[in-house]
Amino acid sequence: MQPLRIALAQLAPRLGDLEANLARHGALLGEARAGGAGLVVFPELGLTGYLLQDLAAEVSMRLDDPRLASLAAETAVLSAVVSFVEESADHRLFIAAALLEDGELRHVHRKVHLPTYGLFDERRFFAPGDMLRAVPSRLGVGVGLAVCEDFWHLSTPQLLALDGAQILVNVSSSPGRDLAATNEVGLGTAASWRTLMRTYAQLTTSFVVFCNRVGVDESFSFWGGSEVIGPTGALVAGAPLFEEGLFYADVDLADVRRERITLPLLRDERPELVAREWRRLIAERAGLAADATAEAGAVDGFDVAADVQRAGGGRG
Amino acid sequence: MTDHTLAMFVLPEELAIDTGVARKVVAAFIRGQLRQAGFERAVLGLSGGIDSGLVAYLVAEAIGAERLLCVLMPYRTSSPASRADAEEVVRRLGCASELVDISPMVDGYFGADGVAGAGGPEALEAPALRRGNLMARIRMAVLYDRSVTWRGLVVGTGNKTESLIGYTTLFGDSACAFNPIGDLYKSQVRQLAVAIGVPEAIIRKAPSADLWPGQTDESEAGFSYPELDRLLFWRIDKRRSIDEVVAKGFDRAMVERVDRMVAGAEFKRQVPPIAKLGPRTAGVDYLYPRRRPGSARS
Repeated sequence: MQPLRIALAQLAPRLGDLEANLARHGALLGEARAGGAGLVVFPELGLTGYLLQDLAAEVSMRLDDPRLASLAAETAVLSAVVSFVEESADHRLFIAAALLEDGELRHVHRKVHLPTYGLFDERRFFAPGDMLRAVPSRLGVGVGLAVCEDFWHLSTPQLLALDGAQILVNVSSSPGRDLAATNEVGLGTAASWRTLMRTYAQLTTSFVVFCNRVGVDESFSFWGGSEVIGPTGALVAGAPLFEEGLFYADVDLADVRRERITLPLLRDERPELVAREWRRLIAERAGLAADATAEAGAVDGFDVAADVQRAGGGRG
Repeated sequence: MTDHTLAMFVLPEELAIDTGVARKVVAAFIRGQLRQAGFERAVLGLSGGIDSGLVAYLVAEAIGAERLLCVLMPYRTSSPASRADAEEVVRRLGCASELVDISPMVDGYFGADGVAGAGGPEALEAPALRRGNLMARIRMAVLYDRSVTWRGLVVGTGNKTESLIGYTTLFGDSACAFNPIGDLYKSQVRQLAVAIGVPEAIIRKAPSADLWPGQTDESEAGFSYPELDRLLFWRIDKRRSIDEVVAKGFDRAMVERVDRMVAGAEFKRQVPPIAKLGPRTAGVDYLYPRRRPGSARS
């Protein structure tokens, strides 16, 4: 039995108010510690709010920012994941998630996938991260950090699990939308995320910890619904939708071993095959290699001939 | 069509929403908008129709009826039934209300009984559309004045259907600090109104701008709300092409007419463009959230 109490800090950050949010994080860390938590997870951009636009540069912090060090100082015998705008030495702005442990900043993940479509405009204001790394933690298992949209790409949970993560942490600012009555729990966004998280937990035989914010930025209402999913894909504990609070999940980390012995999916992954096929696809899409499986008439990198040839019209 | 609401109106099944989730989202939205602006109270124009009636209920649910002021602003030809319906909402909610008769202001401009007003003799013959637009803008001006005396933000009451087809008056009924129902089609407004308990008489009656006796939205537009809502939903929310919605059974002439209405009203849904001249221009490359530290009224 390796018991761990995880605290999901499903809070509503104040948009652009770094000082208020820092204070709130500090208070919740204390509360979670008193509640027996060993890991406390805060949502994406919990220290700044989400819809920053040009405010991003005004609330950014360098990794050596004393305010970040003060927050880290509150993690003695505790692990915490916090998220903020990181400014690099060359003045790029990243959406960052940091693992704070035993008073130190252990690891920083820079959001790799920045949605810039539909209601999102992240790439306009932020630079994408270039690395995905699992890191060892004081919890005795590897931890993999991801931010929101990172989990809408299959490779993210897979790479983190193969790199040694047994706990996959996704911190999010997911705006709720699609209230069609046919949706599970009445919210399309929640239904999609629940499907993803259960699938990833099962396929990576890892714990998935999802912390999503609540509250309102402009038109967006963030839906919360933070969850912890076990390595069998079953829900351990979930927070309510739209309600602010600190919610706990008790897990047994030994479940990872049990599931990986029972279902050795990770053992049977074929990274060398995946890498080889990715390299082939990359070369074909760049026009650097002939596409052996393409139809006649297909442009470099596209397996199928263009619609215009097939249908005699349409997209030109 | 769902059964539980059939009695009062037609709800196309693809438009049915989870009203419990909608109420939670809208309540948090209303509280968030007020808090971020540094306000605790809200004011809205209550016509006696379903849109403003629903918004009054939603605001009362979010912040308490004691923080809501409903302003009734009839013109002398407005339907007495509308006013009675509005008064019933106020009575049931127990919120504050005020009656402002806009007749002197409207007549002061257009003139009355053959005597020209500030708009000159020509304005005596102004058609209903011009008169209706001025009424909407006068109501807006009254609401923004009451916003000061009540110390509350003006809450918008326009729905998604009328916004998309442009059945609104620019800087009139569409003017507001925030709008909780602007992303709900009329059919969804009705569904939510039933769920939250808006008086049945208001839900049942035919929607009307009440610009002249007997006017109804549907007779003026030439199609029913359920039909129009479904078409807009498939064309806009679900990105179906004209051919695809015609294949679903919509009349091609109606589809093309509605498309033109939507395109023609684009300007009503956007902030007016500013000529780009300087290094940083509001809305172009000076982009801030509406509210940030320091922007709330202290």
